[in-house]
Amino acid sequence: SNAFLRRYLLCEVCVSDRRNLSLLDDRAIYTATKAAVARAHGDYGAALSSLGFSVKYLNAHTGIVFLRCRKSHYRLLWSALPFITSLENRGQRVPCFLNCLHVGGTIRTCQKFLVRYNTQQLHRMLPLCQSEAERSEIRKSVLSCTLKKEADDEEEEDE
Amino acid sequence: MRRADIQDEPATYERLVYKNTSVYHYMRISLVLENESTRLSAAQLKQLIVSGLRDLYGEVGGAFPFDLLTFDESTLTGVLRVYNSGLVKLWSALTLLGFYQNELCFFRVTQVSPFLLTLSGNSRELELD
Repeated sequence: SNAFLRRYLLCEVCVSDRRNLSLLDDRAIYTATKAAVARAHGDYGAALSSLGFSVKYLNAHTGIVFLRCRKSHYRLLWSALPFITSLENRGQRVPCFLNCLHVGGTIRTCQKFLVRYNTQQLHRMLPLCQSEAERSEIRKSVLSCTLKKEADDEEEEDE
Repeated sequence: MRRADIQDEPATYERLVYKNTSVYHYMRISLVLENESTRLSAAQLKQLIVSGLRDLYGEVGGAFPFDLLTFDESTLTGVLRVYNSGLVKLWSALTLLGFYQNELCFFRVTQVSPFLLTLSGNSRELELD
């Protein structure tokens, strides 16, 4: 079995303009997170949290990102997330904040949570629909929520 | 010689062990600078230690209170007081502090104790008449 237990932080990147989401890449999130941990927890925190830290998954459409770190110091990373104020990619700075939705021990538990979460979100959006066509779209996506083998997640309907 | 027919009463004793009766730890420190004539005020010394804490443990990690109880400007020695939970962080930050305004320096920790009374004397400076 593995010598180091992991913790996966399931986060949602929230930006004011959804089109900016497509600019995201895992490097931008990696550097922004490391910088935030260095500010919040100093040299000690930066060095300790960088052990086993990686951005495991990023969905540029929904802004969902999985951060992986070691169980022994995931709280350093977790507590530094609110201090991320922007992401930089190819010279462009996008203001944003990271919303941590779930902390799981494996990617699979995070995926299961994501399916439940997306289902809830879609259900919340259903009463806000303006037309019957939108409602049937949403019903279709909700019914099609499944747990696939890869880290896949459902598209949220744009409001 | 005890008589063989006398029964021994079980020995009774009571041992009281106090753990952490003091919530603070006190450290006697002295700052050694490259340029021996440089002087600091107490506020400047505290600011130096705070900056060292912030570098090593960050805005969040270094944000715990400590006090400079005494400071002698001529010898650059003083007594710090810190809560027990912050002792390791404070001591390690003092260890790794190397510069004061671009001048090389280091902190020498002469005494550490949970009790202030211990800092009133030490065997190094003890004079036996």
